[in-house]
Amino acid sequence: MLDIDREVLGVLVVTLNLKAGARHLQGDSPLLGAIPELDSMAVATVITSLEDRFGITIADDEIDGSVFATVSTLTNFVKSKLAESAA
Amino acid sequence: MVHPASNEVPAAGAMLYVHPFAEEMNKSRRMAAMQSRALAASGWTVLQFDLLGCGDSEGDFGDATWSRWLEDTYACVEWLRAETGSMPALWGLRVGALLALHAMRALSPVPGLLLWQPVVSGKRYLQQFLRLGVAGQLGSADGAARVGTQQLRDLLGHGESVEVGGYAMSPGLALGLEASELLPPPAPTRVAWLEVTSSTTLELPAASSQCVETWRAAGHHVDVGVIEGLPFWQTSEIAECAALIQATLGAVEAWRS
Repeated sequence: MLDIDREVLGVLVVTLNLKAGARHLQGDSPLLGAIPELDSMAVATVITSLEDRFGITIADDEIDGSVFATVSTLTNFVKSKLAESAA
Repeated sequence: MVHPASNEVPAAGAMLYVHPFAEEMNKSRRMAAMQSRALAASGWTVLQFDLLGCGDSEGDFGDATWSRWLEDTYACVEWLRAETGSMPALWGLRVGALLALHAMRALSPVPGLLLWQPVVSGKRYLQQFLRLGVAGQLGSADGAARVGTQQLRDLLGHGESVEVGGYAMSPGLALGLEASELLPPPAPTRVAWLEVTSSTTLELPAASSQCVETWRAAGHHVDVGVIEGLPFWQTSEIAECAALIQATLGAVEAWRS
């Protein structure tokens, strides 16, 4: 069973190549606008990695700035996608 | 380029490396070279080539089509066969795995198939690639003004090229890729399926494991290995995964001719 919170964090750290100092991300850590590595291409790469890791499909119009606001909003989005595909 | 087999060890056979798509090829160049050298040192003659429009090949990426890439692959298989006297094993990374599998339908049986992080669905991969082309708009709140992946797909459907991350992609490349799926090999062959993950659970992703089950149900023997490491084909800085190189050497040991 995947620990979703941990997996989402892992995808962020690996995809963005976050340096040791930036790895102390927590649930309320802000993402878009706060992490310079998270540019638009990185957003696309994170989405792709999440799709592959969790076996979900994410449509363009499901992604807006609010999904990438914080670690928690992104994790909650993944959880809702997983719940949707399990239903 | 050719990595000749070391003459200090018994010859193992030939192997053809099929590289991944667009930027993933550049990111993985170092790992492919490291693996090729390691295979050559253990007796394999390895050919690394550039598909039309990629790396040092002639032509522009915009001229590439899926069928032309298949032709390029057949030509390299024939070259290796003439050079070494036997059919080469095939080794593909990401979309290279998909292309190698597709090429096998028109080839004599190969002694082995080495898959690194294979793309199992060309359709899904195309969508993910097109998303890179609209990435600048993904974060914007104004949904109505966005250009989406569907619009790029529509352009391709109307016979127009699209530009994604500096790569002009022709309809002939996109639609060929989209139609390609990782179907079971056409003839029995030994398969090594190796994936790298940064996840704490060393398991295949769901899509891959379903595909492996399908192949096994069709009677193929598939050796699966999951290795902890960085996704070197996409990391922003060039990454290496030494454990994958060792796992690969171990997996192909049984294929020596």
